[in-house]
Amino acid sequence: MLISDIKSRPVYERLSLDGAGRRHLVLSDAPRPLGEVIDGTDGADAPLGYWIVAATSAVDAQPQAEAAPGNAAPVEWRAFRAASHLLDRLSHRLAQETVGLRLYAIGEEGFIWDVARMAREAGLEPSECFTAHAGSLRRKVFCVHCKTVTSGVTTSIAVCEGCGAHLVVRDHFSRMHAAFMGVQADAEAPGELPPVEEVFP
Amino acid sequence: MTARPRTMPLRVAAAIPLSPTLKAFTLIPADGGLVPPSGPGAHLRLNLPVPGRMLKNAYSLISNPADRSHLAIIVRRVAGSKGGSAFLHEEVEDGDVIEAGLPANLFPVVRTARRHLMVSGGIGLTPFLAYIAAFEAAGTPWELHHFCRPDERGVFEGLLARYPAARVHLHCDVDLGVLDEALLRQPLGTHFYTCGPALLMDTVMERAAALGWPRARLHSESFGGAAEGGEPFIAVLRRSGLEVAVGADTSLLAAIEAAGVEAPCLCRGGACGQCLIEVAEGIPEHRDHFLDGEERASNRLIMTCVSRSRTARLVLDL
Repeated sequence: MLISDIKSRPVYERLSLDGAGRRHLVLSDAPRPLGEVIDGTDGADAPLGYWIVAATSAVDAQPQAEAAPGNAAPVEWRAFRAASHLLDRLSHRLAQETVGLRLYAIGEEGFIWDVARMAREAGLEPSECFTAHAGSLRRKVFCVHCKTVTSGVTTSIAVCEGCGAHLVVRDHFSRMHAAFMGVQADAEAPGELPPVEEVFP
Repeated sequence: MTARPRTMPLRVAAAIPLSPTLKAFTLIPADGGLVPPSGPGAHLRLNLPVPGRMLKNAYSLISNPADRSHLAIIVRRVAGSKGGSAFLHEEVEDGDVIEAGLPANLFPVVRTARRHLMVSGGIGLTPFLAYIAAFEAAGTPWELHHFCRPDERGVFEGLLARYPAARVHLHCDVDLGVLDEALLRQPLGTHFYTCGPALLMDTVMERAAALGWPRARLHSESFGGAAEGGEPFIAVLRRSGLEVAVGADTSLLAAIEAAGVEAPCLCRGGACGQCLIEVAEGIPEHRDHFLDGEERASNRLIMTCVSRSRTARLVLDL
């Protein structure tokens, strides 16, 4: 029942450093080597920050300078306990930033679009904020009936955390909610549900 | 359906010389009532009857768009021009009536911007006077850097005197380094606008880009009026078989309209793309800001409001 060719479904490309930027901040929702997530950092002389979600209480989010390859400026590296921890610091950082920043986010769609929304609200233009997908395909699903967002959905039909409806997870994507559209699956014939498939591993 | 009127009569309520070459005009509807709505950055096209022909010169509105009691412009007298500015400086007096087009805006403010940084040179300040009035009314932060000749400093100081001194920066030297400092400290969400001599606009746009400003934040005034005129040519309207002579001083669109053919159009300044027509034969001379490089190179499309022809005949799918 998934509807394909939906135009709002984001399409991602591999991240590449925008040479026109004066400062770069790369965000990842999991520990990944910098060179694995973005091209062009070798030899880049603009300051670059790399923030990752370590998903452990053993990190303190303090900046650590890491030598960069070649003659590039050192990378300021920070590890955060959780995505919420990173986003909290990001909102403070963006409030202090000036025009010239380029922001990059890589990870699951819920994370990268939370970053994109925060960037937009801070005044960044789409041409200053880049996203790429990595990791699980699991989705945030926005229930069009009760407006609740259910996270971590991996199946074609999901139970809404707000109203308990069985929702068809569509490919319609909302950049505002960083979520996909969910519509009641058995609205016309209550109780009649299509088979549930694991489609967003 | 009745056609929307394309012009309106305006009466000169005040014509005040600001300097030997600058004159301010306050215009009110000749028939009473309110002036048509406009937005910050809009311009007004005046029909100026100079000997032998009718000029249609565009001037940026300096009046507060929210105040519909009048429109105001400042005209720089330009030596060696077609004579429109000289006509306004010498012939037009209080009480005279001028036919004008409806205000059109090719240089609008970005409404989602958090802050506005403006750089102007000389008479290029004019659209920003309307911008600033709107920003002050809305409480949006702004900063202006105005470059002018020392002998005109007093004129521009007077025009900006009512605004907070901390927002206004007047420069009489050509040191653009002062701009780097301003470009480097703007918070996210700032948009940048420039209006003035082409060399100034090109230079400051390049400076901004070099300091990390993306194209989406940079805006420059495009003078739609400057694109008019060129080599005369014949436009052939394929559907009707009509042959329209496009003179040296008229636009293709105006010539088509004068021949009684209704052609699509909106901004009449090469920006909106509404007047796009397919070209069947001939090579267009593109003067618009709408078509991309590929579309231009194809020679298959033309924007009739500003573009002309490189060939003696241009066959249009109209």
